[in-house]
Amino acid sequence: MRKEMLKESFKTALPIMAGYVVLGIPCGILCATAGMDVWMVVLMCALFYSGAGQYMIPNMYLAGNPLGAIIASVSLVNTRQMLYGASLSQFCGTCRKRLAFFFGATVTDESFGVNLARFINGQWSVASALAVNLFSQSAWLLSNVAGALVGSAVSLPTALASFAMTALFICLLCMQKITSANVVAAVSAALGVIVCKLVGLSGPAILVGALIGVGAALAFSLKRGESQDSDIRMGA
Amino acid sequence: MSVSDFLIVFGACALTMLACRVLPVFLLKGKQLPETMVRALNFIPPAAFAALVANDLFNPEKIASGDVWSWLAPLLAAIAVMVVGIKTKSLAWCILVGVCALAVLTYGPAFVL
Repeated sequence: MRKEMLKESFKTALPIMAGYVVLGIPCGILCATAGMDVWMVVLMCALFYSGAGQYMIPNMYLAGNPLGAIIASVSLVNTRQMLYGASLSQFCGTCRKRLAFFFGATVTDESFGVNLARFINGQWSVASALAVNLFSQSAWLLSNVAGALVGSAVSLPTALASFAMTALFICLLCMQKITSANVVAAVSAALGVIVCKLVGLSGPAILVGALIGVGAALAFSLKRGESQDSDIRMGA
Repeated sequence: MSVSDFLIVFGACALTMLACRVLPVFLLKGKQLPETMVRALNFIPPAAFAALVANDLFNPEKIASGDVWSWLAPLLAAIAVMVVGIKTKSLAWCILVGVCALAVLTYGPAFVL
């Protein structure tokens, strides 16, 4: 029973794991280039666990940015995680605090999308979702360590590797229900990001863009006054 | 990177990350939320993924650099992924087609010419 559950989570996590291996090895190489030891890479993967963040830290450090600027930029980019927590909280209604904590603490852009799709389809537990997160994190950790061990001996085309994640996001976007309100959300969010980056606000661009998308779609759906069936179940 | 530099950056980033990830879960968990709020939460996935895609594809520096292919190639690859995504809804296929399409578009022209 429990083995079946883990198998299902593993199958669900597999595409994310493949993407993380492709992205994790160059990330480890980059960290080694910035002079980080393997234990530092392990610590970051275990307790920080952020693809964008773990690319930004060595990059900004190598470019000679002050520590305060690195911390501020990385934290701003990661503020979008609040939206995932808010969205997933609906499924944690009855689960134990410790489980909810570990589940929340291991959510990423990719695992959020995959787990949310499973939650909405039903018959998906927080424990299964946590297993998906941990499988993904293991792949991320192992490939980062492999990259850090190999060091700067190999160079990988980073642009190509990071496009694996772009492709994943596009697919997750395509998996959303096509309603006019969702289209308003997606288009306004994309426009919001573009405007943010044009005026030089690239740090909070994702969060600001997403909030603009949510706001625009909410205004649109309230104006139309239809109360469609909610996709998200209420917690007990 | 010195150990003290690392610990400062890592500690601060890990803390803000944990707060952003965990606080919303505990603040909203098990609460009966107003209908408008639930509706807003439903719009997070399409808005967030569109924002992430736009952030990856739109790069003002690349556009300003005058090298049209540097941003057009990813854009064309993204359109290919979108077609596959709508047809298959498969993450694995999207990653495969996306990375292969971008590799062909990036390295192909130099190979042919």
